[in-house]
Amino acid sequence: MSTSASLPDGADAPLRFLADPLTHKPLFAAQGLVKRFGGLLATDHVDITVLPGEVHALIGPNGAGKSTLVNLISGLLPADDGQLVLDGVDLTRMAPHQRVRHGLSRCFQVTSIFRGDTVRENLLLAAQAHAGSSFGCLGVRSQEPALRETALALAEKVGLADTLDHIAGTLPHGAQRKLDVALALAARPKLLLLDEPMAGMGPEDSLRMVELIDRLRADTAILLIEHDMDAVFQLADRISVLVYGRVLTCGNAAHIQGHPEVQAVYLGTEAT
Amino acid sequence: MSSVPLSSQAVSRPRASAPLRFAPWVVLAALAAIPLVAPAFGLDYYIEFVRRVLIVTIAAASLNVILGYGGMVALGHAGFIGVGAYTVVALVDAGFDQVWLAWPLAMLAAAGFAAIIGAISLRTRGVYFIMITLAFAQMLYYVAVSLSTYGGDDGYGIYSPLSLGWFEGWHPHMLYWIVLALAAAAFALVGRLAGSRFGKALQGIRDNETRMAAMGYPVFAIKLAAFVGAAAVAGLAGAMLAVNNAFVSPSLMHWTESATLLVMVVLGGLGRRWGAPLGVAVWMTLAEVLKLHTAYWHWPMGVALLLVVFFAPRGLAALADRRREAA
Repeated sequence: MSTSASLPDGADAPLRFLADPLTHKPLFAAQGLVKRFGGLLATDHVDITVLPGEVHALIGPNGAGKSTLVNLISGLLPADDGQLVLDGVDLTRMAPHQRVRHGLSRCFQVTSIFRGDTVRENLLLAAQAHAGSSFGCLGVRSQEPALRETALALAEKVGLADTLDHIAGTLPHGAQRKLDVALALAARPKLLLLDEPMAGMGPEDSLRMVELIDRLRADTAILLIEHDMDAVFQLADRISVLVYGRVLTCGNAAHIQGHPEVQAVYLGTEAT
Repeated sequence: MSSVPLSSQAVSRPRASAPLRFAPWVVLAALAAIPLVAPAFGLDYYIEFVRRVLIVTIAAASLNVILGYGGMVALGHAGFIGVGAYTVVALVDAGFDQVWLAWPLAMLAAAGFAAIIGAISLRTRGVYFIMITLAFAQMLYYVAVSLSTYGGDDGYGIYSPLSLGWFEGWHPHMLYWIVLALAAAAFALVGRLAGSRFGKALQGIRDNETRMAAMGYPVFAIKLAAFVGAAAVAGLAGAMLAVNNAFVSPSLMHWTESATLLVMVVLGGLGRRWGAPLGVAVWMTLAEVLKLHTAYWHWPMGVALLLVVFFAPRGLAALADRRREAA
C-alpha cells in the first residue's frame, strides 16, 4: 500500500511543527482499522496519520474506542482488518514487542510500572530491552555502565533523577506517570503513544506533564489520547475526534473548536 | 509535586551480613565432610539420604527459577524428572552405562519435551497453565506406565551401577561428591541468575508481562527459554535419581510428585536462592523423622506447613530477612 495517504478533511490547516513540510508524507499511517467485540464494532474503519514531529491528539467521549484503538496500534489487541505502517515498515502482523523494536512505543492509561522495584531498576529494565540480548544468565546487570547511563539519562529527561533509589510504588501519582513515560522512551521511539498521560492528575502535575510532552516532541512524533482539553489544545498540531469507533473529523484546534458536531457530541457535554 | 515521604527511601535487599555471606561455603564444607564423618558414627544410611536431598534440591532449584522468578506455576515438573530418569533407563537397557553420556542426554531429552510442552502451554496463563502442565505431565506418566519394555507400572531396576568414568573407584562415596558438586553449581547458578539480564527480564515478566511486551521484550521466547532450561535441569535431577536409586518407576513422575516439589519450593522461599535447599531439606527431614514415629505422617506434616504459612508466609529463606530488618 502507499504510505502517502491523503489527509483527512481539515488537515490542510496550517501546522505548527512539520519536519517534512514538502511531501506531507506521514510518519505513521493506520488505514481501515477494524475491531469487533461480538456484535459491537469498537473500531470502525479508522484512518489516522501522524506526520513527522507532530503531536496528534485523539479525543472522544467515554466509550468512543480510544483505548481499543491504542491497543490495536500497539498490538496488544489483534485487529480484525486494516493496516499499520510506521516509517515505511508494515507493522500489521507484528507482535507488540516487534512493533516496539521498529519504533512504536506506548504508555498506559493505568500506570504500568514495576511497583516493587526502585526507579533505577525500572529504568534499567527498560534500557536493557534495547541494548543487547536479554538471554545472558551470568553477568551482573546492575553493574553494566552503559545501562546505568541510559537509565540516568531517562530519569533526567522526565525529571526523576533525584528519586532513582525510591521504590516506584511509593512515589506520588505524578511521578509514577512520569516513570511510565520514561519506560516507553527507552525504546527511542519514532512514534510514542500516550494513553491519557494526565489521568488522575491534579492541575500542578498536569502542567508538568504538558511541559514534558512539549519537550518530547523534539525527539518523537506523538499520538496523544487525552481527556484534558486544555492540554490537548495546547499541545496538539492536529486533533482527531473519535465517536462510536469512527473518526468524526480531524484538524487543528480551531477547526475542532468550531466544528458543530464535535461541540454536540463532545465539548458540549464535557464543558459542564 | 509534594516531597517524597521518607518511607519510600530505597530498602533494596540489604547486603548479607558477614556470617550469612559465608553461609554457602560453610554449608558446602559441612556437606562435603558427611561421607568422611558419618561412618564413624554408624550413620552410613544418612549419606544416601543427604544425597537424595541434594538431588531433589537440584530439581526444586530449577522449579524455583520458573516459579519464583518467572511466576509460572508449573504443576508438571516431575514429568521432566521422569523423562530424565527414563532416558537413563533406556540407555542402560540398550547397554550404555556411562553416567557422563547418560546425564547430558537426559538433559537434552527433557529439554526437547519441554520445548514442545512449553510452546503449547505457555500460550495460557494462570489456572489454565497449571492445568495444562499437569495434563502433559500425566500424559508422560501414563506413557511410562505403558512402557512394558521398561517394566511398566512395576518400574525398572538398574542392577549394575553406572560407571562414573574417570571418577570411578576413587572412593566408595564418589557419587555423593559429584551430586554435591552439581547441587552447588545449581545453587550458584540460581543465585547468579537473579541479578543477570535474563533473570531481570524473567522477574519483570512475572511482575508485569504486558509492560514487558510493550517495552520490546520477546516475552514468549524468554518464558520458553526459562521453561526449557528448568526442564533440562529437572531432567538431570531425574537421571541422577535413577542412578542414586538404581530403580525407576512411573511413580517418580506422578502429579503428586510435582505438587510436593511445588510445596517444597514455596516452603523454602519463592524466588530465593536458599528457597530450594531449605525447603527440600526441611520437608524431607520432617517426612523422614515423622515416618519413624507414625505411619500417619501426613497430618503432622500438614500442621507444620500451616505453621510455616502463618509465621513465614514468604518461605523459610525470608525469615533471615525479617530478622535483619528488625535488627
